[in-house]
Amino acid sequence: MAYTLRGRLETRLGVSLLPLLAAATLALSLHRWWPLELAGLMLGVGLALDVFVYHRLLRYQPGWLAAPLALGELAAIMGLATVLSVDPPLGAALSFFAGSWLFAQVLGHAVFPLGRLSYGEDGGELGRAGPAAAAVAAALLASAGGVAWATQPPTVTLAAGTHEGPLVLDREQTLEGEPGAIVRGGIVVTADGVTVRDVAVVGGQNGIEVDGAERVVLERVRVSGATLDGINVRRSSVTIRDCFVQSAGEYAQGIDISFGFDLEPSLVEGCIVHGGQEGIVTHFAHARVADNRVSGTSLRGITLTEMSMAKVEDNEVAGALGVGIFCGDYSMCEIEENSVSGTRPDLASDNRTRLGYGIVVHYGADATLADNSLHGNARRVGSFLHARISSE
Amino acid sequence: MTKSCAIVGGGLAGLCAYATLRKGGLEPAEIAVFGTDPDPAGAWRVRAAAIRQRRMRSESDGHCGPTTFPGLAVRAARRRRSPLPLLLSVCDRFNPTVEEFLEHVAEVRERSGWDESFHRGRIERVRAVEGGFDVEGRGVFAHVLLAPGHPGLNVPVELERDPRVVHAYRPHAYAERVEVLGAGMAAATEWLNALAAGSSVVSIRRREPLRRPLNLPRELFTRRGLGAFHRTSMDERLALLRAWSMPSYPPGRAWDEPIGRATRDGRFRVAAELDGADQIICATGFTRGFRRDRLLGRLVAEHGLETAGDWIVLAPDAVVAALTDDTRTLTLAGVPAQWAYPAADTLAGARYVAHGFLRRVERWRTR
Repeated sequence: MAYTLRGRLETRLGVSLLPLLAAATLALSLHRWWPLELAGLMLGVGLALDVFVYHRLLRYQPGWLAAPLALGELAAIMGLATVLSVDPPLGAALSFFAGSWLFAQVLGHAVFPLGRLSYGEDGGELGRAGPAAAAVAAALLASAGGVAWATQPPTVTLAAGTHEGPLVLDREQTLEGEPGAIVRGGIVVTADGVTVRDVAVVGGQNGIEVDGAERVVLERVRVSGATLDGINVRRSSVTIRDCFVQSAGEYAQGIDISFGFDLEPSLVEGCIVHGGQEGIVTHFAHARVADNRVSGTSLRGITLTEMSMAKVEDNEVAGALGVGIFCGDYSMCEIEENSVSGTRPDLASDNRTRLGYGIVVHYGADATLADNSLHGNARRVGSFLHARISSE
Repeated sequence: MTKSCAIVGGGLAGLCAYATLRKGGLEPAEIAVFGTDPDPAGAWRVRAAAIRQRRMRSESDGHCGPTTFPGLAVRAARRRRSPLPLLLSVCDRFNPTVEEFLEHVAEVRERSGWDESFHRGRIERVRAVEGGFDVEGRGVFAHVLLAPGHPGLNVPVELERDPRVVHAYRPHAYAERVEVLGAGMAAATEWLNALAAGSSVVSIRRREPLRRPLNLPRELFTRRGLGAFHRTSMDERLALLRAWSMPSYPPGRAWDEPIGRATRDGRFRVAAELDGADQIICATGFTRGFRRDRLLGRLVAEHGLETAGDWIVLAPDAVVAALTDDTRTLTLAGVPAQWAYPAADTLAGARYVAHGFLRRVERWRTR
């Protein structure tokens, strides 16, 4: 088809209506915005390419070209989704894109020509239906934007100074601390979509506890003095970024993410964790642990165990007692580009896995190791009880 | 029910217009078709057989249906139970066979009720009268589409009486030494036919033919290219139409390989002048211009219509603006409509004109 510019735009808008509607329905049923954000991105990228690229370069567009153009659009959309932190689940996003594309092909090749006799010779223009499609698409996006604005979670600002906890966050909200805002006695999160940002937490059993909640974001939180876990996550999916956790008690741990294997993966990124038995630990969880600095732990630096599935990359683990990074109990671990140093043997233990290994793979676990820097450790890598190590 | 529409010309363009009117909701009783042969492919079939054409130059949407979808590729895929025609079609490589095309024409004829509206007879005069157009005493119709077809076969004057001459579109066999005049699709087909029949071939042509899949650049089939075309001045448009009427045939090995082999074997060569062969095949197409057509010539003369070169000046939707208003429509289809749609002599062109005609009729019906 040799599209006119108007034809390209009207066809694009026409084929986007149902995906937009589907995205709105999906967003409502999932209580998530990514379907609409993705559909909006697809439409925006498509329209921009239509105006600035396709119309100028393609005087005639053969049918087969739709496939490579779609791949280019997909790359641009996913790139933008990453930049804009839309973060749709990859499989769902690809399925949504593929479904929308196929639907567009059916409309463009069959339904529009059947519905509008002169569709082909008009270069894809839809006549009076064209502006109507534009209006409906704009109305849909505007409505979605309006709903998003109206229903966005409230932001609660925590003033500087000390606030007695525990604070219980059982509604979707953003809790933002002013510089110097401190919560004494812990924060408990039980609602989906909670964000805690720039808050210091002192004391409590667990510094921050997340229980049965998804899409929780903990950004730039500082936790110290908790008697058990600095950050304790159960049956939840969280994103923890740029945190600082200082553990001191005999049973204290830095960050513990457990029992969320069936939920969306959690992320721990850019944190500094010092002290405690285990710095960062996952039990039966799906997680990515990246760019963290873990030091001075008394049991293990980073632990992935009880059938966890995790990627551990670009972390610095220093001065651990016994074990630097541990992958155990039928977990599957990708351990790449980490630096593990100064791991000391635990002379008080008769456990032979604790002889100061940089990395231990244990009890049926399966670990892939690549480009890790191990130096100054009592031992480098150990494999125990039917565990398997492969190297890239 | 009175007939409001007349289609003068019972060929493929007429069938296309008829199917489009039917799709637009008109009943057979509202439409009269005037032609000399009830088979809308009658004339085309003879010409295709004469040049032993096996495949169409047009692609999936080169058909007589009112909508581009489903095209002939869909039809072929269904018939052959294979997705190959569809795959070829998305790559612009699907050219239906002549047999498939003719079957499709028969289907459209049957399905549309063409025969119910068909009236045998040659119409040589259409006059604008109060409330419409008088179609040579057959009645007054508010909306008339003229699809008179090509005025005749073109044979150079100097060869008209030469006994060796045969036009490509007339049935013929091949002599031992054949000269083929022309450089378009028919000429290229004749080169291959004559070579396959064992003849030596001389291609008589003054310029190298263009090689392109369709007889015009693809953007000229849609508003993308038409917009600029419709904005041209009269002189510019004349120049463009003349340039676009240069002969061309599709690129591809199917054409090049046999000719290459024959050239190496000394059985094919190109010459600028005739050279005393046993047979001269004129693949020189058709005579051109409204003056060669009795119906159109009289129409222009009697109504003082504006013309440019060989063409009657038309509005972008191929209506004769001077004779068209809210109450009546006169539209030209086929070659005479090139002023509005350069590819009007193709099936896509026939559909374009038919759509414009239907829009006018619908506007009139809803007034």
